Amino acid sequence: MLLLAPALALLVALFAFPISVSLLSAFSDGGAYSLGNFARSFELYGGDILYSGAVCVGAVVVTDLLAIAIAGYLTLGENPRIVAILRWLYRWPLFIPFIVAGQMMRSFLAKNGLLNNAIVATGAVDPINTFGLLDWRGVIITFIWKQLPFVTLILAGAMASLDRSMIESARNLGAGRLRALIEIVVPQVTGPLIVASVLTFVTLLSVLSVPVMINAGNPTMITVDMAYRITSLGDYGTANALGVISYLMTAAVAWLYLRQGIRSEPKL
Amino acid sequence: MVRKFSLLAATAAILAMQATSGLAQDVLNVVTAGDQNMVDYINDFLGPRFEKDHPGVTVRAVGTGPGDAGSLKIFEKLDAQAKAGTEKWDIDVAVVHQRGAAMMMGDKLLAKYRSEISTGKLVTRDTAENALGTNVDGFVMPMFHSQIAIAYNPSVVKDPPKTYAELAKWAADHPKMFGYNGIKGGMSGVGFVMGWVGAFTGEGEKLEKGPYDAALKPKIEAALQQMKPFNANVTMTPGNAGTLDMLNRGEIAMGPVWVDMFYTWRADGKMNPDVKLELIGPGLPGQPMYYVIPAKAASAKLAREFVELATSADVQAEGIVKRFNWYPGIDAQNVETKLDPATWQKLFTDVTPEDLAAKGKPFPLSNYFTDVLETYERVAN
Repeated sequence: MLLLAPALALLVALFAFPISVSLLSAFSDGGAYSLGNFARSFELYGGDILYSGAVCVGAVVVTDLLAIAIAGYLTLGENPRIVAILRWLYRWPLFIPFIVAGQMMRSFLAKNGLLNNAIVATGAVDPINTFGLLDWRGVIITFIWKQLPFVTLILAGAMASLDRSMIESARNLGAGRLRALIEIVVPQVTGPLIVASVLTFVTLLSVLSVPVMINAGNPTMITVDMAYRITSLGDYGTANALGVISYLMTAAVAWLYLRQGIRSEPKL
Repeated sequence: MVRKFSLLAATAAILAMQATSGLAQDVLNVVTAGDQNMVDYINDFLGPRFEKDHPGVTVRAVGTGPGDAGSLKIFEKLDAQAKAGTEKWDIDVAVVHQRGAAMMMGDKLLAKYRSEISTGKLVTRDTAENALGTNVDGFVMPMFHSQIAIAYNPSVVKDPPKTYAELAKWAADHPKMFGYNGIKGGMSGVGFVMGWVGAFTGEGEKLEKGPYDAALKPKIEAALQQMKPFNANVTMTPGNAGTLDMLNRGEIAMGPVWVDMFYTWRADGKMNPDVKLELIGPGLPGQPMYYVIPAKAASAKLAREFVELATSADVQAEGIVKRFNWYPGIDAQNVETKLDPATWQKLFTDVTPEDLAAKGKPFPLSNYFTDVLETYERVAN
C-alpha cells in the first residue's frame, strides 16, 4: 500500500483532479448546472466535430493501408537491398514533431509550394492550373506522413514474429506475394493493427499544431476551436465541453482497444 | 539511488534559486503580449538601455503570445495572484492590448501611475484615456499605435478598391485572390471583420463610442450574413504572417495586414518590394499596446522608471519608429522633432497622415467585439 501511494497521489493530482475540474466546468454555467456549453458547442462547432472525426478516421484508414504495404514488403520482399533501404527510411518521420511536420508541409503543399513547383517544372501542368492542398487534404497527408512509421513499426514487428512456415507453404502452393499478404499475413496481425489504429486515432484527435498551420479555413478541427475559446475569449466552459466531446470520441475507440485486449489475453 | 537523489537535489536547488531571484528587488519582470517582435524589442533595445542607467538591475522579458490571447494570459496570472491574496505580484510591467487593459481595470488589477512619471503629459490621444469604452485614464501609457491596412500586389490589382463595398465586389470578381486569416488566426483578420461590420451596418461610430446597445445585434448579424458569400470566395490564410507569406508567393493578390509588420518585413528584405498598402473606407481598426503596472507590482518604483524611459521622446523615436516601424505611442509632434524627415516619412509611405486620421479607427467596444465574434462563428462560415 505504501509503495502504491506515490503513484496513486500522482494519478489523482495530475489526472483525476484536472479531469474532474474540466468536467465540472463543462457542465456548469455561472456556478449552476447547465448544458449550455454543450448546446453552444454543437451550434457553433457541430460541423467541426464531424470534420475532426472524419479527418482522423480517414487518416487512420489510409495509414493502415500504407503500413500494411510497407510492413508486408519488409516481411515478404525478396530484394534484400530494397528491404534494407525501406527499413532504414520508413522510420524517419517518427522522430519529427507534429509542429515541424506542419511547417514543412505548409511550404511543400502550398499553391506555389515545392510540390506544385516540381510538377510545373516537369511541364506536366501549367502554373495557372495548380491548386494548393492546404485544407483537409493537407491535414490528412501530414497525419499519414507522421503516423505511418508508428503503425508500420508495430505491424512489421508483429509480422516478423509470425510463423514463417505458413507463408512458405502458401508460397510453395503457388500463392503470389500479394495473395500471401492479404490472405495469410494480415489476418494474423489484426490485433496489433487495431491497437495501432486506436492509438493513432487518439493521438491525431489531440493534435493542435497541424490544423492550425495547414487548415486555416472552416471547418477545422475541434482542438483549434478549444484553443480559440480559451485564448481569445477566456471561455473555459465551452472549451471543456468540446473536450468532453473529444473524450467521448476517444472513449468509443478505446472500447475497441479494450475489447481487443481482453480477447488476446493469454488464457491460463 | 544516491546519484538520483543528488540529481533531484540539484534540480531543486536550481529551481529554488530561480524562484528567489525572481522575487529579488534587482530583477524587473516585464511580461509582454504580442508577437515575438515585442520580446525582441525589450530584450534587444529597451532592456539593455534600462540596465545601463540602473546598474545591478536585470530586465527579464517574457512573451505570452500574440493577439488578445496573450493579454488574457497576463490577466489570468494577475487575477490568480490577487485572488490568492499574494502581497507582491511577480509582474512589474506588463504590455497588453486594449481588451486586456479593460479587463484588468474591471478587476482593479492596475496601478494608477501616469501622473507620477514625467512622460505622462506627452500623450493626449484619446486611446490613453479610453480602451474600448473602459476609462483607463492614468492607468496606461501607450507603447505604440499600430494600424491594419489592405496590402495589395499592384501587378495584379491595377486599381485597388477604396472602400469595403468595392473590395467585396473585387473579391467576387477575382475568386480566391483576396486572403485573410479569419477570426482565429490573429488580430489582422479580426480587425478586418470589425471593419466590415462597421462598414455594412453603417453604425461604425456607435460600435466604437457606445453606449452598448444589444438591439444592434440583428444589424450586426445582417452585416455578417453578407460575409458568408464573401468568405466562400476568398482564401483563408494561416495567421498574420501567413497573409504576408501568401502575398509574397503570389497565391493571393490582396489581404489585410498590420502596417508595422509589413514595413518590418520589407526592411528585412522578406517582402516583395512591389506590394503596396491602402487604407480603405470607411475605415479599418488599429490599436495601441499599453504599458501597465500591476497594482501590487513587487518593484513598482523601478517599473515606473522603466515606463518613463520607454515612453521618452528619444526612445520612442529611435526604438518605436526607426527600428520597429510602429506609429509612436506618445503624441507625434514630440517624436517627429527627434528624427530626420526621411525616417519619419517612411512611416507614411503608403498610408498618409490624412488617411490615418480619417480612416484609422479604434476597435469596437468590448461588448460589441464579443457580439461580432460570436455572430461571425454562427453565420459567416
